[in-house]
Amino acid sequence: MTRAAAGPWSDAWRRLRRNRLALAGVVVLIAIALACIAGPPLLGLDAETTHPQLRHEPPSLAHWFGTDALGRDFLARVLLGGRTSLLVGFAATLASVIVGVAYGAVAGYYGGRLDELLMRVVDFLYGIPYMFLVILIMLMFAETARGDPLPVFLALGLVQWLTMARIVRGEFLVLRNREFVLAARLIGAGDARIIFRHILPNALGPIVVYATLTVPAVIILESFLSFLGLGVALSWGQLVSEGVSVVNPIRSYWWLLVWPSVLLASTLLALNFVGDGLRDALDPRAQR
Amino acid sequence: MSGRWARGAWAVGAGLALLAGLAWLVGPSSALLLAAGLAAIGGVSWLPGRAVRVVGAALLAGTLFACGRGGLDAGPAAALALGVAALAARLLPVAALRRLAFAIPSLVLLVFVTTLLMYEAPGNPFAQERVASPQVEEALRAQYGVPRSGTAFFAVYMKRLLLDGSLGPAIKVQGRGVVDLLAPAVPISMALGLLALIIAVALGLLLGIRAGLRPQSAADYGSMGLAMLGISLPNFVIGAALMIVFALQLGWLPVAGWGGYAHLWLPAVTLALPYAAYIARLARSGTIEVMQQDFIRTARAKGLPERSVVLKHALKGALLPVVSFLGPAAAGILTGSFVVETLFGIPGMGQWFVKGALNRDYSVVLGTALFYATLITVFNLLVDLAYGWLDPRAVSEP
Amino acid sequence: MRTLAGLFGAFGVALLLVGLTFRASVEAPADLRFVNGAEPRTLDPGVMTGAPEGRIADALFEGLTVRDARTLRPAPGVARRWTLSADRRTYTFELRDDARWTDGRRVTAHDFVYAWRRLLDPQRGAEYAYILYPVRLAEAYHSYAARADALDGPVRRAFERLRAGSPAGVEAQAWRAFLAEHHVHDALAGTADPVLRDALAGRGARLEPDALARIGEALGRAAAHRRARARYAERHFGVDAGVFAPDEETLVVELVAPTPYFLELTAFYPSFPVPRLLVEAPVNAGDWFLPEKIVSNGPFRLERWDVNHRIRLVKSETYWGRDRVALQSVDVYAVENATTALNLYLTGAADWLPGVYPSDLVDVLRERPDFYRGPGLAVYYYRLNTTRPPFDDRRVRQAFALAIDRRSIVEDVLALGQRPATHFVPPGIPGYAPPESGLGFDPERARALLRSAGHPDGRDFPEVGILYNTSESHKKVAEVIADQLRRHLGISVVAYNQEWQAYQATTRALDYDMARAGWIGDYVDPNTFLDLWVTNGGNNQTGWSSPVYDALIRAAADVEGFAAAPEALLRRLREPRAARAGLAEMARARDPRARAAAAARLRMQLFREAEAILVQDEVPILPVYFYVASGLVKPHVGGFYAELEYDDGTRGPNLQDIHPLRAMRLVPGEVRTR
Repeated sequence: MTRAAAGPWSDAWRRLRRNRLALAGVVVLIAIALACIAGPPLLGLDAETTHPQLRHEPPSLAHWFGTDALGRDFLARVLLGGRTSLLVGFAATLASVIVGVAYGAVAGYYGGRLDELLMRVVDFLYGIPYMFLVILIMLMFAETARGDPLPVFLALGLVQWLTMARIVRGEFLVLRNREFVLAARLIGAGDARIIFRHILPNALGPIVVYATLTVPAVIILESFLSFLGLGVALSWGQLVSEGVSVVNPIRSYWWLLVWPSVLLASTLLALNFVGDGLRDALDPRAQR
Repeated sequence: MSGRWARGAWAVGAGLALLAGLAWLVGPSSALLLAAGLAAIGGVSWLPGRAVRVVGAALLAGTLFACGRGGLDAGPAAALALGVAALAARLLPVAALRRLAFAIPSLVLLVFVTTLLMYEAPGNPFAQERVASPQVEEALRAQYGVPRSGTAFFAVYMKRLLLDGSLGPAIKVQGRGVVDLLAPAVPISMALGLLALIIAVALGLLLGIRAGLRPQSAADYGSMGLAMLGISLPNFVIGAALMIVFALQLGWLPVAGWGGYAHLWLPAVTLALPYAAYIARLARSGTIEVMQQDFIRTARAKGLPERSVVLKHALKGALLPVVSFLGPAAAGILTGSFVVETLFGIPGMGQWFVKGALNRDYSVVLGTALFYATLITVFNLLVDLAYGWLDPRAVSEP
Repeated sequence: MRTLAGLFGAFGVALLLVGLTFRASVEAPADLRFVNGAEPRTLDPGVMTGAPEGRIADALFEGLTVRDARTLRPAPGVARRWTLSADRRTYTFELRDDARWTDGRRVTAHDFVYAWRRLLDPQRGAEYAYILYPVRLAEAYHSYAARADALDGPVRRAFERLRAGSPAGVEAQAWRAFLAEHHVHDALAGTADPVLRDALAGRGARLEPDALARIGEALGRAAAHRRARARYAERHFGVDAGVFAPDEETLVVELVAPTPYFLELTAFYPSFPVPRLLVEAPVNAGDWFLPEKIVSNGPFRLERWDVNHRIRLVKSETYWGRDRVALQSVDVYAVENATTALNLYLTGAADWLPGVYPSDLVDVLRERPDFYRGPGLAVYYYRLNTTRPPFDDRRVRQAFALAIDRRSIVEDVLALGQRPATHFVPPGIPGYAPPESGLGFDPERARALLRSAGHPDGRDFPEVGILYNTSESHKKVAEVIADQLRRHLGISVVAYNQEWQAYQATTRALDYDMARAGWIGDYVDPNTFLDLWVTNGGNNQTGWSSPVYDALIRAAADVEGFAAAPEALLRRLREPRAARAGLAEMARARDPRARAAAAARLRMQLFREAEAILVQDEVPILPVYFYVASGLVKPHVGGFYAELEYDDGTRGPNLQDIHPLRAMRLVPGEVRTR
């Protein structure tokens, strides 16, 4: 981290702390993540063992969230599903950040014809209906997945990096002509060093903001895949899409829809608030 | 000097990495073709103006010929295509032709990429539950023009598209061409999407402006809370909730299916809500920004009623960021209707998009992909135009 | 204000566009509307497969016979009456003179000959071609040329490679690998040469060069023989042999062997007639069945077909039995989403829901008065991949069969009155008693078997993947079974899903451990279930092969042939005494009818032997339960037989859950909901 960047970051932190919604978002996120990671072992929950006689039990002291169609503890299922959803959300976002930042940095830093070429490729990919790509990539991996959510990361990450690349490229185009970059170049710093040590830290704000907003988008996309029957692992999306089929006026196992929906919605809301808060905090002028 | 070398090294390195990734996904020869295609598309922006005129017009002529062949014989179609292309080469500005020279090869490349991905996916359109003899499969492949290799299929498909203007026969719905299948589905999805777009803009503007006029107030939190519901739940949950309340409990609207205007509302609202949420957020910050401007204070000082201040100025401020979002929103709504169409049993494009992929009906997949990609291209163009109209100072991106 | 005006203007234009693109079609609702599940791929009866397509085929077309709406028993259709020869091998159908196509032409015997030859045309690859294999020369016409090509081509080349690779004789293991990969059993079967017989059965340590030479010759002879038969069939099938029409209203069908279920096949849509002139017209290549073109001969005609949405059927005015068809119009909805389908039914937009509802709601639905259910002629099972560890070991397969608590699955998970399956052929087929005491739930014995296979307490057992095609109910069953196997065998199991196409590719490539499957009987006879498992059968997909099993299925298809030379097979049966008694009974019978009855009993005995191999000894599959046919139907739909009484006191629709639209009517007294 360069010294030049320290000032703005602490300012940003101060502004973020004043944004109650964003703070609440952070707290909710941490709470949910902790519950999903530590909950099952701490509470001694078992998400696999079936008790078909105890199927569709409403919430009780024994099963706080009730039981599912196979009599499994639904709290455990929801928490496990949360692990997958959060993992998919963050891993796909990470993938998109890595690809998008590398791509955008190269395009923006070198500019010129290379930039033109790279950006035309991005334009081309923008023209593809992305859900289409996701579905096709999911189908490609369908044979080998065996319940492994890795293909989902890949598929979703692969379509999410485009906007990131554009944002990073825009930042780099501006920053590469700033004094501190020229200074670094004068003292003989190599391109890699300038990109990673000097420009990137200063472009981090928009990257972080956009990444925060990518996570909820990915989680929602994953739920669409589950709805279409292309989901591969136990996730909130899968639980919610299953829950939709058992809530009906003639009989409703409401807990099967409500709990995963509530957790999913809280996570997405929290992420959105954090993202908005970060945007306001990092760039107080541009309230886009 | 070193910068130049490094630049070359970076470019070569990135290119190689990309190629390696592609080769891993689709095999080396296809990867090379793909890289060549990407380079061709990227190279368009380096072409000098004169070359752009030639290339753009030629591509336009080819496209028009293919479109014309849908209904005409080769002769008239060629005459029409050449005539229009010659006119276009003379009259259109270079920027427009450059756009064409980029967009048309992009669509071809899209067909290639989609073909590669489809062929990588396990299964094929001729798979039956019972294992059929290889001779039978060969006969079917010949009949439908589906060779065993992806690149060969691409060649067959492009040839048919260019020379006959045909999107090929659907494989899993026998007896019909892809056009016969998509033609009735397009207006359905269009009607649904347009209505959803109207609802999204109206609802989004309403909530966003209401919130933006009094930031941090109860009205703000209430409106935005409502709007945020749209992006915090997958829309099949929202759709199911709407179904239960308005169709199953109240009985006001049909629960699913297709037929009369009444069937449009629930799916359109379901489709609109996430976009309404985004629009509300954009409109809110646009309003906040514009309300802090000096001319608003002047207007108020002049004693203009608050109503007209809002209608005259805030609305415009709110609208600007919304308009630039309309392109992606329209594209998203139209291409994203597959969940809603599946949920509500609507026979639109979205269902083909999903069914085509799941059935490995290659021609249907390519037909929908081409349709959507063209749509997205057109929308982006329209948005650029609309933006220029609303804010003449704004220079559209190259 | 300009902005506001512009905004409203834009809204107005957009709304106008909505109105322009969207044409509301307000049509009077049909008499009957039902949700049919998947969209039909085609309406050509020579291509169709699956229950949703079958429902439409039965409405649009009619075969020689029809199935009675109540009992499923064959009744006169296009054929007014028929006679069966004394040797029970020749049917002579007399067609009614008032059977008409919708264009007014007569339905003639030639239409059937054409349709059957078309179904069996080797170039067309109809999935259901094998349905007509009981007809003489049908199999030869359909598949012998291709089989001969295979024997002369890939099989011969592989065999020569095998021989060239080890000129001093081929090791038993290499030979067995060859047998598993190449389809040579039926080509070499029936040979009198004991060396070949042993080689085919995979017995003996190694094959000497001399034996190999003889096998090579036998392969050549088999290919030549097949080619000759194919040529013969090409010339004669449909002309003067197999099936042929002496005149317009007479159809003669010669069978390979007495086939008790043949009149059911003539009521099954693959055997329906097609309008030759229309089908063969070059302008109609592959689309003669579209609404603007189609000519059909059934109780209904096709009026509209909005793909992915609805098919509208209208009563046919040319159908011979039109006076008895009550429904004027029927709407068939293509809705696959179970929740959507149920909602349509609940709001009155559909009158009949054949099985398309969320399985999780079954606890409530089954209490409704408009819910019907009954035993179905279908079995739910898992395939085991017998070509690779761990399931190449029979003891492991048996252990798995013993470790599944099927009762818990049917009672607590499915809860629809399904019956647990420890054998493969569903109960209810007249005259057939499945083998007793298959491998029921017995975890102790399962663990013992696993121990004897070298895995005490599941030690060193590889992780087993349970594959199912994506669906709510398959998922539930797979997850319960995974849990049961984990608990009872101490092994690690993972259930995973693939969408249909990938699932098919995976099972076909034998790239799975354990894969879910189901089979719905095409006719009421054990053969429709048991002939799946012959070596290299199109639906086998387990890699399993048993020469004895193959011989039994062949013998059952030709009991007279078996009676002529029974010894080779008798020695290898579990209950040879029962078979001998059957043979003796046949021999004793003087009167042909008594002999036929004895032959039918013996045939069932042979099936029973075969099934015992399948579900007790070899276990390449794990039957889980027998399906229950179920659905919802509004009380105003009459002529719908969902309350038939079965021997065991249960009530339900007929065994195949077939509800012909021609028999349905609206009950006037019942109030129609919305």
